[in-house]
Amino acid sequence: MRNKMNLIGACLFAVILFTTTACNKAPETATTSTDFVTLEKQVLTDFTNNVAMSNYLKLSVSATNLNMALQNLNNNTTDSNLIVARTAWQTLRETWEQSEGFLFGPVEDNDYDPNMDTWPTDYVQLDSLIGSNNSLLASDIQHITLSLRGFHPIEYIIFGNHGNKKASDITTREKQYMVSLSEDITNTCNALYLSWSSAPINFAQEVINAGNGSAKYSTKLEVYTALVNALIDIAGEVAESKMLEPYETKNPQLVESPYSGNSLTDFRNNIVGLQNVYLGVNGGKGLKDLVASKNKALDNKIQNQIIASINSFSNITGYYEDAILTQRIQIQQTMQALTTLKATLEGDLLPFIVQNVKD
Amino acid sequence: MKKIVILLTMSVFILVFTMCNKAGIFDESGYDDRLTGGAATVFDETSHAFTHVIDGLTERDGHVHELGDKTFEQTFVANPAPINGGLGPVFNNVSCISCHHNDGKGTPTAGFSTSSLLFRISIEGKDAHGGGIAAPGFGLQLQDQALVGSKPEVQVNINYTNVPVTYPDGTVVNLRQPSYTLYNPYTFLPTNYMISPRLAPPVFGGGLLENIPEETLRSYVDANDVNKDGITGKANYVYNPYTHKQEIGRFGLKANTSTLQVQVAAAFQQDMGITSYIFPQEASFGQQQTANQQSNKDIPDSSLDATIFYVRTLAVPARRNTTDLDVKAGQKLFTTVNCSGCHKPTVQTGINLNLPALSNQRIHPYTDLLVHDMGSGLADGRPDYLATGNEWRTMPLWGIGLFSKTNGTPYYLHDGRATTIEQAILWHGGEAEKSKQAFMNLSKADRNKLLKFMQSL
Repeated sequence: MRNKMNLIGACLFAVILFTTTACNKAPETATTSTDFVTLEKQVLTDFTNNVAMSNYLKLSVSATNLNMALQNLNNNTTDSNLIVARTAWQTLRETWEQSEGFLFGPVEDNDYDPNMDTWPTDYVQLDSLIGSNNSLLASDIQHITLSLRGFHPIEYIIFGNHGNKKASDITTREKQYMVSLSEDITNTCNALYLSWSSAPINFAQEVINAGNGSAKYSTKLEVYTALVNALIDIAGEVAESKMLEPYETKNPQLVESPYSGNSLTDFRNNIVGLQNVYLGVNGGKGLKDLVASKNKALDNKIQNQIIASINSFSNITGYYEDAILTQRIQIQQTMQALTTLKATLEGDLLPFIVQNVKD
Repeated sequence: MKKIVILLTMSVFILVFTMCNKAGIFDESGYDDRLTGGAATVFDETSHAFTHVIDGLTERDGHVHELGDKTFEQTFVANPAPINGGLGPVFNNVSCISCHHNDGKGTPTAGFSTSSLLFRISIEGKDAHGGGIAAPGFGLQLQDQALVGSKPEVQVNINYTNVPVTYPDGTVVNLRQPSYTLYNPYTFLPTNYMISPRLAPPVFGGGLLENIPEETLRSYVDANDVNKDGITGKANYVYNPYTHKQEIGRFGLKANTSTLQVQVAAAFQQDMGITSYIFPQEASFGQQQTANQQSNKDIPDSSLDATIFYVRTLAVPARRNTTDLDVKAGQKLFTTVNCSGCHKPTVQTGINLNLPALSNQRIHPYTDLLVHDMGSGLADGRPDYLATGNEWRTMPLWGIGLFSKTNGTPYYLHDGRATTIEQAILWHGGEAEKSKQAFMNLSKADRNKLLKFMQSL
């Protein structure tokens, strides 16, 4: 599944190499070990509170807003209410895609991800379901197949083809379905937030207390490894899957979020999520603080590559499903920027973490 | 000149004597305990520990592995579809990864979109190849989901009751005893049906297990219990519908499948309704309700073969904490109480010229791949080829200590009834009864050491 065979082994090797080399010169920025250990804890705490919990809380609120907007659209089916619903969908989508920058913990353990974000949508079954008399309550949604749940069936109903759908085109059954889908998403997002914030899982405490009583992570290195691997995964996922597959096959059908034309925004938000983890947000510490305290050059390299990756998306204009045919050089450049970033995270950041994070 | 002759003569003697010496076998201490899969070991203890490719593939093979990875992850949808079509008409789930979470175990629920517990079904008797007789109208597996417009074959209700077990030292552990009720069948269920719950197992390491010589597996059989340890073991011989031969079973929770090729193709067909060159008939074949929804090759040959190759080339995670003194003590206790009687710690794979990382490897799968009587507590009462209703294949224990990482809540045993390794041990009976009793009679400290060892796997 992941092409990271013997990654840790390679990291250890790199660490030995690095250590041997490092003996020759003093680190660029002097940091005492006590400072670093304090910083390790602070970064985990700030990641948990400022990035993860904050993002999941926003996700929960955005899901509720979408549900309200769709209820409103159901009750009063006007084009202006449709625009509000679409904006609510896009806001939720932005928050979700940013949270994919740290796709580990309950979001994968409890299948919250496939419950909301399975792709492709099953058009045939979707049309059959809408055309049937099957019950479409929210309680029914959790029993239907994943390809009929989550963001994309809602997107299909409220956007049509690149937003060509009018409010008057939405049928009564579609309205019932979209409201129930959004209620199902709201339940999932609430459960996801609660899995971090409260018992029985209380994942926030598992991360913060890594190496100090956490049942999930017996060392801080374990959680840091999971965190950095999540960054590597999302950079790889965008470059080598989400963008590459439609690009290679020149097949627009392989593009995610095709109804709203939101794919490029999705990709970019994935990397913004990565950036949030690396830099930290709202004044909190991020991985950058750990790296910069011992190796400013590496920190500069990572930050520059993240910015270059994010900025490169601006070179691709219009819909991604069109760009795979008309803007291949720009797409190639973005994929290259992401591949470079991934290589740095894999080849430099992970070894840095393995070498330096101590319990 | 004379000196030269003497030196040459001595050299010849040394050379001859050295050549006569057979290569010795390394002492145990000469091996690295962490290399569970030999050269096919990966060092990762995160949630992705089961998802890595083995080392040393050619560029082409690496590409095939990746293609298989994508197919393993892709969501299938109903025909006609521009991509990933072929789902159903009846099925259990929509992708491989939905059940094999992170290439590991599934979740023991039924009827939800992420459920990974399925049920085999048959009626009394054996078919022409020694396998179970399909339940009329239901086949050999119950599909509890269906495309819109069709009815799922059946729905399943799962209930757990609490079964307390008390150790000689007074410690009490609560076990969950599951019971399964079928309801809402799309047509009448036969009166004499037998069902068997099967939780999706981890899929890594299959290439190594496939490469263990048949003679090695047969050598583990002790049909007459000559060593008087209460363990006999049986090789399950099963029908391979592709080669049309009876072959030794290695895969499936009752060792009812001989090759990864058939295992993967059967999962596509039975679990997702994806037909292929191996199984061109829909799982729902013969059902009136889906008579017009039959397609005989939903997945291209290359995609199926790539998925088989993907599973074959998944690496095994390395052990952790192997130098911890408690873990080392637990390792000895594992042998003392004879868990190792079935969960064979060390096995040598055969030669594989195509995949060096799987070839002639000293591996630690902790299985003999035989089926054993596990007692009435775990029995499903449904025979599967030579495996009786009490018999299950020895579960490989490699990676077992990482289940909480790969799955969140770890689930053990064939139906996921156990949520701790200790509970799983306490469910053992039959041929494993002696070992279970020996475990229960250990001091609490020693039991914890044994469990700590198992967490290191």
